[in-house]
Amino acid sequence: MSEVHHVSPAVTWFCAALLLALVLCLALEEKLHIKKSILAGSFASVALLLGAALHLLPFEPVLIGGHEIHLPVYIPAVDWEVIAIILGASIFVDVTSRSGLFTWIAIRLTKKSGGDPRRLLWYYGGMTVVFSAVLNNVTAMIIVGSLTGVSLEKLKRRDILLGFLLVEGLLTNVGGLLTLISSVPNIIVGNAAGISFVSFFLKASPYVLVATIMTLLMGARIFAIRRLETDEEIADAAREVAAFDERDGIESQGFFWFGVAMTLAFVAVMATTSVLPYLRDLGMGYVAMTFAAIMLLRYKHEVDQFYRAVDWDLLGFFVALFVFINVMEHAQVLALIGEGLKLIIALGDIQGTAAVLVAAAVFSSVTDNIPLAAMLAKIIVVLPDAAGNLRGPEDPIWWSVIFGANLGGNITPIGSASTLVAVTIMHKQKLNMSFGRFVSSAAIFAAAQISLATLYVLVVLM
Amino acid sequence: MSRIDQFESVFRAAGRTVFGYEPIALGRVLVVTDLDADGAARIGGQVGEFLDKHGLDANAHQRNVSGVEFSTVKGLLDLVEAETPDLICTYRHLHSEAWHWPFSLGEYVDVLAQATTTPVLLLPHPEAGRIADHAMQDTGVVMAMTDHLAGDQRLVSFAAQMVDRDGRLLLTHVEDGHTFERYMEVISKLPRIDTDEASQDILQQLLEEPQQYIDSCRQVLAETRPDMTVEAVVKVGHRLAEYSQLIEEHEVDLLVLNTKDAEQLAMHGIAYPMVMELRQIPLLLI
Repeated sequence: MSEVHHVSPAVTWFCAALLLALVLCLALEEKLHIKKSILAGSFASVALLLGAALHLLPFEPVLIGGHEIHLPVYIPAVDWEVIAIILGASIFVDVTSRSGLFTWIAIRLTKKSGGDPRRLLWYYGGMTVVFSAVLNNVTAMIIVGSLTGVSLEKLKRRDILLGFLLVEGLLTNVGGLLTLISSVPNIIVGNAAGISFVSFFLKASPYVLVATIMTLLMGARIFAIRRLETDEEIADAAREVAAFDERDGIESQGFFWFGVAMTLAFVAVMATTSVLPYLRDLGMGYVAMTFAAIMLLRYKHEVDQFYRAVDWDLLGFFVALFVFINVMEHAQVLALIGEGLKLIIALGDIQGTAAVLVAAAVFSSVTDNIPLAAMLAKIIVVLPDAAGNLRGPEDPIWWSVIFGANLGGNITPIGSASTLVAVTIMHKQKLNMSFGRFVSSAAIFAAAQISLATLYVLVVLM
Repeated sequence: MSRIDQFESVFRAAGRTVFGYEPIALGRVLVVTDLDADGAARIGGQVGEFLDKHGLDANAHQRNVSGVEFSTVKGLLDLVEAETPDLICTYRHLHSEAWHWPFSLGEYVDVLAQATTTPVLLLPHPEAGRIADHAMQDTGVVMAMTDHLAGDQRLVSFAAQMVDRDGRLLLTHVEDGHTFERYMEVISKLPRIDTDEASQDILQQLLEEPQQYIDSCRQVLAETRPDMTVEAVVKVGHRLAEYSQLIEEHEVDLLVLNTKDAEQLAMHGIAYPMVMELRQIPLLLI
């Protein structure tokens, strides 16, 4: 947080009410029929105007390399590194998916399962986690969810489709915990905390492994997903899945192998950005954008189709959100919330850390986890620990926010974009899944995952 | 959520329909004629000779029905029910002079083709004099025809079984050009859809599916019938004209086609006009 301004409590409370209104509007986004970017953009515009009128904002030149540069006040308010990572990674994944690589992997695994539902659940579950980690959880849900619908229809097992889609939806948020770039809250909190890619992976992976196994075992039991028993059933299922041709989505062998090499390189470079000379200065945003540009060279004459496919609503939302939160920071709203957070943390190492995780999960379940992560990151980065020092990347409170923000998405269908995609696929498949049914079906999974995460943070990461 | 649809399409396209050969059992053959006992025996003899080489069971039983054995459609259906044949062989316009005018099949065949599940081998009328020179002699060239070839396992198996040793099996699929053009005309009026792109992609997909299925048939039949040559004809056009031209061009000895329609009582799709038009060669109605 920047220097403390002298802001009257009335202004702070008024701005806090504005923040609450934004959070409520985001929770009711579907009902209001307004896109996130327009919502956050409108609030950001009002907040900027208020900030200017109430003399909250610093209209001073910015010093870059010793040079004074005049930038509009809302430009430095945005974390452009986060925007660059999301934009670059999303274009990279979109172009790479045209190589047929992800569909090839998905179909190969389907064939390897022999069409056995239990084995298929494990393979698809594992694939969801890995795709969520390497790509992003929305793309993972789209790929695995679409394949699940097609393959179970082919196997004439629509009776277990709902269970599959629900388990996959819940696993996207578990997989989203695996790496620093797997989800937006990870990027925001990880950047603020200074957690490196490798350190993030090493700390998160044991939890992801155990939570995945637990979720799949529970899913198989709750939704009665059993192995095939008779030889005839096994032979029929094997014949059906053998009819899939994994090469169908591959336009060119050369581009396919290029996609393989680039995906491996992307993960490797992202993982080592913090130690690579030059790249560590340019950051992960540069890496993501450069990889996207290299992939786009393949379609150099028709790149506009990929530009059109970018989720501009999401990017606009992030930009507006950063601007809005920056104004809240200047209005001392974040300091006010920080005081509240201090009270929770003051419950003690164990109770405080656990309470932050559970509170983050509950908030994430009813509203977008990105503003929560952005806000908490800004607060915690300046919130001293018990010894009065700034919190380093090892502090478990960061992990409470990361686990809570990600896993909260599993409590309700609006808690994360990927569970919303899972519900959309269910509706597309004419499966009955209301808000209430999702909450009641997912509750046991979410409770188990959040309990496990709390235990993990307290026992392993503390 | 167009990306969900995009990936679903990729996976659906990757899920091929694979051909599996189904051996057809022809243990009981019923030859239905409207002739006297001698005439029925003569036709029965021709049919026996024609079918002899084509997968009839070793101890196949053939019964020749003469005209006096039935005088109503119900009578014929009762006869069929009592005999439970695996194949019915007959010709158009039983007990009728309407064969002079090629505008119908006659009431017996009309009902027989739809009311029973038994395949019907429809022979050229013995008195009409329209038999092609090469017809009823052998089945060196058999053509399987359908408007949805992908998945027609029984049709292809039947057709393959009827092909003579070292013969040719033509697996054909003609996509209806008129219907395609009609849809393209509608698409050309929708600003959200690129007409050229849609036309190219739809056409490619329409033809790719039967072609892939035929490739699968070819692969399986290469093992079960290595002596036989399997050829593919997949195109867009006026179906009746295209099929007629193919039959003439390849001197097809037997045409095998689906005629049963689960959703309606009449013969489905292109089958009726084809059966009406093609009177010069035997047709096997599945």
